[in-house]
Amino acid sequence: MSALEENFFTRGPSPLAKLTFFSLAAIAIMIADHQLHALAFVRSGVSALLTPIEQALMLPGKWAARTNLYFSDQQALIAKNASLETQIMALSAGHQQSQLIRAESKYFDSLSGVNKRFGDQGTIAEIIRAARNPFVRRVVIDKGSSHGLRPGLAVIDGSGVVGQVTAVGVLTSEVTLLTDKAQSVPVMSLRTGVRALAVGNGQDGTIDIPFIPVGAEIRVGDAFVTSGIDGTYPAGLSVASVISVDRNPAFQFARIAAKPVSGFDHQRFVKVLSHAELQDYPQPDVAPSDAKPVRERGPKRREVR
Amino acid sequence: MDLSPVSRESLTLPAPLRLLIGSFALAFLLNLLPWSGLALQLCPDFVLLILLYWAIHQPRSVGQGLGFLLGLFMDVADSTLLGQHALMYVVATFLAQLLRVRVLRLSLLAQAFHVAAILLLAQAIGLTLNSVLGRELPSAALTIAPLLAAALWPLLSAVLALPGLRQHARQFLR
Repeated sequence: MSALEENFFTRGPSPLAKLTFFSLAAIAIMIADHQLHALAFVRSGVSALLTPIEQALMLPGKWAARTNLYFSDQQALIAKNASLETQIMALSAGHQQSQLIRAESKYFDSLSGVNKRFGDQGTIAEIIRAARNPFVRRVVIDKGSSHGLRPGLAVIDGSGVVGQVTAVGVLTSEVTLLTDKAQSVPVMSLRTGVRALAVGNGQDGTIDIPFIPVGAEIRVGDAFVTSGIDGTYPAGLSVASVISVDRNPAFQFARIAAKPVSGFDHQRFVKVLSHAELQDYPQPDVAPSDAKPVRERGPKRREVR
Repeated sequence: MDLSPVSRESLTLPAPLRLLIGSFALAFLLNLLPWSGLALQLCPDFVLLILLYWAIHQPRSVGQGLGFLLGLFMDVADSTLLGQHALMYVVATFLAQLLRVRVLRLSLLAQAFHVAAILLLAQAIGLTLNSVLGRELPSAALTIAPLLAAALWPLLSAVLALPGLRQHARQFLR
């Protein structure tokens, strides 16, 4: 009978008062999150609560995949096995070559004192789902701070750069993809060495390469790799290949569209690169505060006084 | 002269707690499904829909506070700005509280139009916040999504009022 014992008259603040209170609270939280980045702990805490639900949601798909595998055609498996073996042969030939090249480059690096590029250490992670937000291009992976991830790490797949870890929970992390509007990667043309930025445009399948002069030596099909000048992405990772170059002399810059080489839309596993070797990335010699013109002006003002 | 209430059968007792929790959990799972592409832009916000249903049908149990909490959960799940869904859900719940007495007297179809207006306003808040952050509207499909969600309202209302799920007053008063 507890249901019938409910009080007849409403108590507590009016709906309008509640609306005001909760709206102000929501706006305060938004400001704290956006301007101060103060709520990372809330995010990681809630995402830890969400993780078991996400894992449970993935189970039916996993079971279906396993059942499919169980009933799959023996011929298909044999064919797949054969193709994988030939792939391994091809890759191992490349690997042997790259070992030689790596040994050589290590020798040259030791001669010139240049920093090492990157190690191939990293964590393999599985993409759980895409973030349900049409404004951003992000995916959630099943590794978090408990696996040693931290914001800023580069994420690659078998063919190239996927994106960057931007938010880390305890058990899951968010990876912002190359195609996100807020994501830009310093790149370098493999053929000509032209430095550029690859900037996402919010659409799947293409990224922009802005601020390249109309006369620059860029052709359709040129491959861009990370240049490593930001210290976030290790140098030499494949990023994109140019699919169209629009040279309009009316504008200062050419319009260059490129296609990301990584297949993050249909990939299940990615690798999060750990930057253990990048910690000795060269820092600018000048302290940032010294570089500001404000300091230079300071003594002059004093002289005037 | 018959003085018994016009539709005694339609009097329902408050829904049991397990129905409330179960419906929210199911809506949450539907929202967390791996939607992508056009389906992502068109898919309704099931949590908001269920929230509106209970805010209209059971205002004593479901109000703006719950909307606020669910909104924060959806913000983390959708990796949006923390507080965006909270604001959308609170405003939508408030409108539902304002309109509930009027809406409950209408047919399910007419109810769906009222719900569509609330959902459109909530979506408008979300889109405005994103444009303040400097993000472009990815496609016009986003503005249609609330209408599709509202089209689910009659079905949702019919399912949640099924006699198996709710105790009707008739069984109780007999």
